[in-house]
Amino acid sequence: MKMKKSMAEILEHFRQDERFLANIAHWRTIPARDAKTVSFPSQLDARIREALEKRGIPSLYTHQETSFRHVREGKSIVAVTPTASGKSMCYHLPILQTLSEDSQARALYLFPTKALAQDQKSELHELITEMGLSIKSETYDGDTPANIRQMVRKAGNIVITNPDMLHSAILPHHTKWVSFFEHLKYVVIDELHTYRGVFGSHVANVIRRLKRICAFYGSYPQFICTSATIANPKELAEQLTEEKMELVDNNGAPAGIKHFLFYNPPVVNRQLNIRRSATLEARDITEQFLVNGIQTILFARSRVRVEILLTYLQELIKRKLGPKTIQGYRGGYLPSQRREIERGLRNGDIMGVVSTNALELGVDIGQLQACVITGYPGSVASTWQQAGRAGRRQGESVVVMVGSSTPLDQYVIAHPEYFFDRSPETARINPDNLIILVDHLKCAAYELPFREGETFGSAEIVEILEFLTEEQVLHHSKGKWFWMNDSFPAHNISLRSASQENVVIIDITERGNERVIGEMDRFSSMTLLHEEAIYLHQGTQYQVEKLDYEEKKAYVREVSVDYYTDANLAVQLKVLEQDQYRREGQRAFAYGEVSVHAMATIFKKIKFETHENIGSGPIHLPEEELHTNAAWIGFSDTLLEEIGTEDVERGLVGLAHVLQHVAPLFVMCDPMDLHVIPQRKAVHSQEPTIFLYDRYPGGIGLSEQVYKEMETILAQAERMIVSCPCESGCPSCVGATDDGSKELAMTLLRVAQGGSAYVS
Amino acid sequence: MSLKSKLQRMKGHLSLENDKSREAEQVQAALQGGAAETAQTDAIVEQEVQTPDQTAQPDIPYADRWQSMQARPFVWEDEHVMIREVRYPLRQQHGAYSFAQLHDTIAAWEASGRLHPLSAAGKRADDLLFFDTETTGLSGGAGNTVFLLGYSRVEGEEVVVRQHFLPAPTAEVTLYHSFLEQAKQSSHLVTFNGKSFDWPQVRTRHTLIRDQVQALPTFGHLDLLHGARRLWKDELESCRLAIIEQEKLDVYREDDLPGYLAPVRYFDFLHSKDPDVIQGVLRHNEIDVLSLITLYIHVSRLLLMHEREEVSQEERYEIARWFEALGDGETALQAYLTVAHSDHPWSVRAKLAVGHLYKKQKDWKSALHIWESCMSSPGYVPEEVYIEAAKLYEHQLKDWEKALHYTRLAYEQWKKRGSLLRNRSKAEELAFQKRIERLEAKEDMRGML
Repeated sequence: MKMKKSMAEILEHFRQDERFLANIAHWRTIPARDAKTVSFPSQLDARIREALEKRGIPSLYTHQETSFRHVREGKSIVAVTPTASGKSMCYHLPILQTLSEDSQARALYLFPTKALAQDQKSELHELITEMGLSIKSETYDGDTPANIRQMVRKAGNIVITNPDMLHSAILPHHTKWVSFFEHLKYVVIDELHTYRGVFGSHVANVIRRLKRICAFYGSYPQFICTSATIANPKELAEQLTEEKMELVDNNGAPAGIKHFLFYNPPVVNRQLNIRRSATLEARDITEQFLVNGIQTILFARSRVRVEILLTYLQELIKRKLGPKTIQGYRGGYLPSQRREIERGLRNGDIMGVVSTNALELGVDIGQLQACVITGYPGSVASTWQQAGRAGRRQGESVVVMVGSSTPLDQYVIAHPEYFFDRSPETARINPDNLIILVDHLKCAAYELPFREGETFGSAEIVEILEFLTEEQVLHHSKGKWFWMNDSFPAHNISLRSASQENVVIIDITERGNERVIGEMDRFSSMTLLHEEAIYLHQGTQYQVEKLDYEEKKAYVREVSVDYYTDANLAVQLKVLEQDQYRREGQRAFAYGEVSVHAMATIFKKIKFETHENIGSGPIHLPEEELHTNAAWIGFSDTLLEEIGTEDVERGLVGLAHVLQHVAPLFVMCDPMDLHVIPQRKAVHSQEPTIFLYDRYPGGIGLSEQVYKEMETILAQAERMIVSCPCESGCPSCVGATDDGSKELAMTLLRVAQGGSAYVS
Repeated sequence: MSLKSKLQRMKGHLSLENDKSREAEQVQAALQGGAAETAQTDAIVEQEVQTPDQTAQPDIPYADRWQSMQARPFVWEDEHVMIREVRYPLRQQHGAYSFAQLHDTIAAWEASGRLHPLSAAGKRADDLLFFDTETTGLSGGAGNTVFLLGYSRVEGEEVVVRQHFLPAPTAEVTLYHSFLEQAKQSSHLVTFNGKSFDWPQVRTRHTLIRDQVQALPTFGHLDLLHGARRLWKDELESCRLAIIEQEKLDVYREDDLPGYLAPVRYFDFLHSKDPDVIQGVLRHNEIDVLSLITLYIHVSRLLLMHEREEVSQEERYEIARWFEALGDGETALQAYLTVAHSDHPWSVRAKLAVGHLYKKQKDWKSALHIWESCMSSPGYVPEEVYIEAAKLYEHQLKDWEKALHYTRLAYEQWKKRGSLLRNRSKAEELAFQKRIERLEAKEDMRGML
């Protein structure tokens, strides 16, 4: 029997193995970092200091001390430090200090997920016990028993919850929390960087409501935020809380050596520049770690990928480790399942986990030695978050990022400096998105009547209040707007999903034992839960027997097949209003409001391993309509004459393919949130046009950002096509592989950048 | 582009609160041919109308309509609310009882000396405020407005129904001021589900204006829903007040406006200011608070006079259970025995319960006696009886042979029943087998000695 290899031996093996080494595009060793410390502040309570000393902590890291000082001076702060740098001490210390002086004071801790809240509760309880302070801290979420809830409301010094709970259970019932709101001194927002896009825009409004309720009870809390590295933490924190922020970024925590490998799968078809599947390569690399007993996390880009990889690995490892030691982890699993997996990872029962970005967040799963990332996660910040899962504390660790054939992955693999030298992305929110704002104005009016002249953050609200009055949701009387409706608005508003109503997934395999195994937002369900779709859950395959779109239920039955399904979405787009416009030569850039009609059309059955198409079928689902914002590039009609209608069309498709991958980079969003579609003859102008639109009704500022940075994005797209080693186009750049596709996309790019169709 | 036109365009994406109750009302109106509002008969005659105070009338739309509905304005701090007052003589019958019987009920509690959450011992009739609200929504929360605070109360030789109505949301301070001035003269609320709905909602709305209104008094609270559920949960299709009225109290409503339509009527009223729109809601609330008196009398009589013939054996059994849960074993035993000695199917379960009570008093003999009499009864005897008897023989009387005998009987019966229902629990089976093995071992030990 072979001996298990250590991490150092595996790395050595990688260096020796020529086949492996040939695929390593870049090997960066990030050196260890020494600690920078400062002695405890003199005003720190002796009990707190002694408890820390007993833990073997003789001093504070620089960022912890700076945070303490600022908060004690009454400032709101945002602390930005990497994973495992002790950033929770940035808020624990000043808050515990205040609570040791004032037993009446209250603090609210907000975590983006329940799992994180649970983690922090345990950590906080330990701290408080060791310090011998009489401070009550408790989680308040859907799992909190009724008798404890009352205690938390009346006497909890630190209430740990999530924004959803604040939105739907605390704020609408604020009269049960009188003494809490009267004495609220601090609001902690951990994992600030997760509050971006739709979710962040919702949460910004929840915070507006929170501040409004606080003001009603006479409190004006300070905000303490912590964030992973993003380009604009201060701006994001200020937008989210509408408070002036101090930035704390003098990280003093040490870190161990980390090896960061860019792995590019070998080319299997040189002419078409087709590489071996990243999924298969990632699987093989992960297997090498696992069989040597190295706890490994494998990240996949989508829920489907997670399940495919899980199936592969469980099959491979079964005889060697026992099937339970590899687990999947993603949204759609039930909370209890997730808690169990987290525990298994911490205590070592689980050797490997296959995850979506759900585990990017600071859920405590202990220290993993290896991390394999399938495909570039789409943003620099997200990549560092995933990479941070390996070697959180000290010691040697390795991260392998396996590139896929997409243009973006190939670009990043070929330009490591892009990743290592670039500042991470900017997180954007748009709290004034009309739909989101209207939702929260209703909730706010339910909580307290609006007075004339009252503000709601920086939003314009009078016209909306009048609109809601006309719609008989509010009642206007003597200068006040009153909620006057029999519903409970917060129950109809979800902070997380665009379509607001999720489809529940029901397993009907066993008669008499039907059970809910997960849920999914409605828009995704069009392409993932249509009838005959293969839905994967914890490595088990299910076929959708019936999708009841009205009742939002998908009935699935367990099956065993050797394929998965992939659905097509047909999209029509119309311009409603052009807000901004600039023209140069044969092209124009514009930004405005559009309506999009999307309809799932057909699905394909794709065989595992070979990925060949083995069948297809129609999807019968109603059309979904979306009003949103878009940026677009219009080309002059003269171009059609110059290079021919058909070629313009092919060029548009190719360029759209590239932009779909480049644009999300610049606005820091999931490629799912920003869609790109080409039109040979746009309805509003009759000209060839490429649209980039926000996937959320009303837009969340992505396309507006695209409009502003159009020049940069186009330049980046050009670089991507030029650097692709294929001959005339491939899936890694313009998508199509037929002759001249690449050249046609380049032609349009030149025109789009103000040049002419022909190279002079 | 103006925000207004954008709002119109986005309307499809906005989740505007669709009025389910409004739709419901349209359906109902269609079904009844629009008759819901027209028929306005007074089930109760002999109403005495109090002349409203004419002096302090602010400018009130439809003042004459209000007046004919026995409502007058109450003005405080530039706002007014409407107070509707209807008086009935004590001898007035409402359903099965006259209001005057409330006095007898209080006296009966006093005389019984029993401790019970519904006891009125030591209270005067006017200490009890029979209270119910109407609100703009069903779920609790800060935005659910209480627009009607209604109650009935004995005042001298009359029962007075008083309803404090909020004619505009700006008048809430006045509403609570007018209500609390009256309500604080009583010490206890008597409600139907008021502990978890009405009173918390009053407290919620009061919190919003707590700086402008006097504090809420600490009322004692007798919630009749809890008792109704204990007594009739299995018997009635639901424990709604309207159902109890029909089935137990002989109160029959005519053209009653269903409670769930109250919010939408109120929203309509805010637009039209026409009291006719809200009249059905006031009437509905009035019957509610009057029926609370009848229900209180009825439930008290059941509890205090459970030996009476009109009390059904099912009710009597539930009453016994309630007293047992409250720790009053003596009263429980009496009631259980009445059921046990009857030929009602529930006599078996009553005997089982009686045995348990004897066992608790360590009266093993009486317990075994009643359980064994139970076994000889003709109907179906649950295994529990045999098991309980077996336990007593094993642990108290150390008669293992008898214990084994009863355990085997229980096991046989369990097996038969199980094969009938095709549903056997492995855990139960194991428990039987373990018990039998243990007893057999004990028997063997004895045999060897």
